[in-house]
Amino acid sequence: MRPLPLVLTALLMAPPAFAASGERIQITGEVIDTWCYFSGVMGPTDAVVGSAHHTCALWCSAGGIPVGLLAPDGTVYMVLKMEGDADNAGGDTNLHIASHTIEADGLHYTRDGLNYLIVETITADLDIINQTHDDFGVIPGFAIPEEAAQ
Amino acid sequence: MIRLALAAALLAAPAAAQDFSAMSEAKTWNLYAEVPARFTARVADPVCELTGQCAADCGTGQRQVVLIRDADDAMVFPLKNSQAAFTGAAVELAPFCGQTVEVDGLLIDDPDIGATNVYLVQRIRPEGGAWLRANQWTKDWAARNPDATGKGPWFRRDPRIISEIEAEGYLGLGEEADAAFIADWF
Repeated sequence: MRPLPLVLTALLMAPPAFAASGERIQITGEVIDTWCYFSGVMGPTDAVVGSAHHTCALWCSAGGIPVGLLAPDGTVYMVLKMEGDADNAGGDTNLHIASHTIEADGLHYTRDGLNYLIVETITADLDIINQTHDDFGVIPGFAIPEEAAQ
Repeated sequence: MIRLALAAALLAAPAAAQDFSAMSEAKTWNLYAEVPARFTARVADPVCELTGQCAADCGTGQRQVVLIRDADDAMVFPLKNSQAAFTGAAVELAPFCGQTVEVDGLLIDDPDIGATNVYLVQRIRPEGGAWLRANQWTKDWAARNPDATGKGPWFRRDPRIISEIEAEGYLGLGEEADAAFIADWF
């Protein structure tokens, strides 16, 4: 077998073809449960955000489903790190801010149709401001167990 | 310039049009934009792919993981495992970090809401191995939470979720908002 040319060998050993650098952005958005939002499994996108979906967002975040940041223009940024916490599959940081609207400073990447965000700093936590339960109740309907009413 | 762009578009077309549903045995979830999809891919750490900052073993299930599809090098994001229990896919795929596996599941393609190349993985087959069901999450949770016993599914018994609800309520708006809502809801 002939040895590979030096340049080709170097290319094969190179690290992943990652973007040279992300674009620094400042963004305001709601920390959402991406599975329920993208799949439609529990209804339309406006029903699976905010207070109506808060308990389910807790379940999904603790269950390791990726969280996203939903910007006012409807763009969803898949969050890969939340303020230094790389433990973003079921970690505590994402759980504590489920359904909250935050202001964030971070690095934005795009690849194959998805937006990705590494949040370096949560510059403000505005708590839950999207009070969707007024319109949708709770989604799913069993989010609040009957025992809670007693 | 236009010819060059046209040539590039034609070259890219076969990958974009590729049908990954052939041979798929994925079970439907009756989702609006689901498409069965079976393909081979490398299991990877998305932070590593995008930034070059790589975690050992893709973060051993603590970080999200992605699938770099062999056919077109697309980065596919598995959001969900096969359990209907609010559980993700990182725990299922991280043991195969850096390896090429075959996966079967459902692709969600709904560009109107930004859903492209997102995936529900139902089964995983390592090279030379047998198909494995992507349903480990609740077993891992039970092993990590031996004291969270009692009736009901994991998400009713999880200490972290219970703590969040005790602090902020089911709506996340506090005890008063919960009380008013519950009085009306039930």
